[in-house]
Parts: sequence; C-alpha cells; structure tokens
Amino acid sequence: MSPVVLVGTKKGLFLVRGDDARTSWEVEGPQLTGWQVFHAVRDPRDGTLHAAANNWVYGATAQRSTDEGQTWERSEGLGLPEDSELKLTEAWHVEPGHASEPDTLFLGGAPGVLFRTDDGGTTWEVNRALLEHPTRERWQPGAGGLCCHSIQIDPTDAKRMAIAISAAGMFRSDDGGESWEPRNTGVAADFMPDDKYPEVGQCVHKLLLHPARPERLWQQNHCGVYRSDDRGETWERLDKNGLPSDFGFGLALDPADPDSAWVVPEEGAENRVTPDGQLGVYRTRDGGASWQRLENGLPKPAWAAVLREGMAYDDRSIAVGTQSGSVFVTSDGGESWIEAASQLPPVLSVELA
Amino acid sequence: MAVVLVPSLVAAQAGGQKRFEVDAGTVGEALRGLPISDLLLDERGELRTLVNVYVDGVDARQGDGLDTKLGPEAEVRVIAAIAGG
Repeated sequence: MSPVVLVGTKKGLFLVRGDDARTSWEVEGPQLTGWQVFHAVRDPRDGTLHAAANNWVYGATAQRSTDEGQTWERSEGLGLPEDSELKLTEAWHVEPGHASEPDTLFLGGAPGVLFRTDDGGTTWEVNRALLEHPTRERWQPGAGGLCCHSIQIDPTDAKRMAIAISAAGMFRSDDGGESWEPRNTGVAADFMPDDKYPEVGQCVHKLLLHPARPERLWQQNHCGVYRSDDRGETWERLDKNGLPSDFGFGLALDPADPDSAWVVPEEGAENRVTPDGQLGVYRTRDGGASWQRLENGLPKPAWAAVLREGMAYDDRSIAVGTQSGSVFVTSDGGESWIEAASQLPPVLSVELA
Repeated sequence: MAVVLVPSLVAAQAGGQKRFEVDAGTVGEALRGLPISDLLLDERGELRTLVNVYVDGVDARQGDGLDTKLGPEAEVRVIAAIAGG
C-alpha cells in the first residue's frame, strides 16, 4: 500500500498520499471539516482510520472510518461517569491495542483520562484506576489541560502499558490498566516552586516506547529530553549533549535502531518557536549521548513550531508537521527532507499509515 | 410534531439531515431523541455551554432551559454560539 500521512489540523483531517518512493506527495481532503483533529491513526490490524476530533461547541468525539475517510462514524456515549464529578473536555490520542486484542484500542483525553474499547471503537469505557488515581489531586493542568497524549503498549506483553499526561507525568501499568504507578524518578519539574523532582506533576510532552526494545522509553519533556532503559524506573537526562534547548514537543524513533531518536527543539517554554530562525530536526544515533542538527530541505528562515503529535515515524520515514501548515518527510533518517504539503491549516498531528 | 433544525456541522454527523420532526413535550425530550444528542448535551445531559437553543425564536435558557415546553407545532432551532479559532 502507498504511504499516507494522516494530518490532523485545526480545520479537519487531510490525507497526504505518497508514491512508493516517497518522493512525490498529494494532498487529499479535508475530511471531518469543522473539527479540530488532535490525532488520527490507522489501525494496522484492520486498516480502520480513527480520529480524536474536538469542536469548540460540540465537544470531544472519537470517530472512525472504514472507507479511507469518505464516511465517519462517531463513537457512542463518550464521557465521564457522574460520580467522578469530571467532564470530558478533549479527546487527544487514539492508540490501537496489542496485536493479540484486535478489537481493543485506547483513547487518551483531558482531564487526564484514558478510555478503552473492546468493540473496535463503537463504545468506550473509562479506565477507573487512572480516573481515581490517588495522586490526581496533585496534577496541575497546563495549556493542554491535563491531556493524556501518549499511550504505549509493550508489543511483547499486552498488559504492560506506559502513558503520559501533561502535567501529571508518566504512569506505568503491568496489569493491563488495573493499576498505575508513577514513573518519574529523575525527571525534572523545574516549574515547581519547591520540589523540582516530585513523584508526579512532570510535564511530559511526548513519550515513546521502542518497539524492538520495549524496556527502553524516550520522552521529550517540558524540562528536557530523557531516556529510560528500565521501563521508566529511572531516567537519564540527555539535552545537555548538543541540543540547543531542553524544550520541545515532538519525538520520533527508528524501529530498527533503539539508539536513534529525533526531536525538534524550540527556544523555550516562554518562546515556543524553533531556534536560530530555522526549522531544525535533531538526531541522535548513540542513545542521546550526542545530537546532530539536520536541516537539508527544511526552511530557513523559519519560525516554526511542532506540537506534541506533530511528529511520527514508520519503518522508512519520519514526518513532521508544523503549526504553519507544512508537512516535511524524510526517508533517509533526516539527511534530506521533502515538503510533502504546505499551506494547510495549523497542523496538530501527523501519523504515517 | 415539533421540528428541530440543527447547524450543518452537526447535520454532517447525522448523514446530512438538518431537520428532524420529533414528538416531544420539552426541549430536553426533543434533543435527547436526536442521533446527535451527544453533540448538543454533555455526559450529564446538560446543554453544552456554547450550544444555544431557540424555541419559536426565544432563547430556551431564558425560559426553563431543557424543561421548556414545546407546543405541537414548535420550531426548535439549534445555533452555535460564536466561538472558534
């Protein structure tokens, strides 16, 4: 199948289709017009498209399409139980479940909630253990409003999951979501007034698990880039190793090489734009010990910004979407980039499908 | 039968249907019977903050809200508040 970049934007979903060589791309869409598509993904198990779509007026929805987006079906009854005294404010991320559970998917949302479906997305049930987590009262909403944006499932064990919430931190489950433990040791929360290394409250911007070495996790945080080699028990900070700042959102990995990662640093929390007036993607090939700026094919001058879902990877390519409406793709590890789409609405998310 | 008219974005979520004939005694009953009720009402069954409902030209919030009575020929018009970005 030809590659597609699913591009969630502030004004609907676009499908950017490439040729087999991934050198020529065409924009299709928009679909789900009027909806802010925070994230869209193709379920690799059955090809269904899933989208987390939000609207200022009509709220948070999960939508799915079995015909490449020609028609969409909205999930039933997405919301939080009355006894929680919380209301669902946004749907953020859809994650297809483990290969052994073909009808199971997960949906992350705000305020810091996780849903599970076991019927392919027709109905969703909130995860009670996270909803009622004893540390919840210590979670502090940021601009993202306590969004559960990262959901990673160990390909070797469906019950092992890692999620991240801004600004609550990373949580790990070893029992399929029956319980969750904070795993933020060594991760800074510099914005806290006193304790800079609390149990919870870290502002994870993106968390990824390496599919071939699932004990290895990477995160781009509000306060640094980190790697863990023990499923989040301990974290090593990596952003003093050549990155121009500790701040950024997007993160991508190489499924064939657990030592490689890509990030897009921004100047800092108070000026969320790529530094030096250009869009630079930074790559490590040595587990974060050193980083190299990649810029061939990326615009200059440019004051770009890439959101937390604005970076994606598959086994051949990395895609980066900007708030200025461009999508850049590399298929040589970042040595060269092609602008696959431009002049789209602000890009909220990309996925390679 | 009362008639409910919904905006095009909501209609698109109902297969394009913009006009619904409903047998309902109140605004709440009328909205709850629609296939897109979840877009107009939140998980508590309350009218979403930025959804406005007019019954024969009168804002239902200035009446009894979802309990506002509907006459047999009432026209219920759903209009989005000015919002966006």
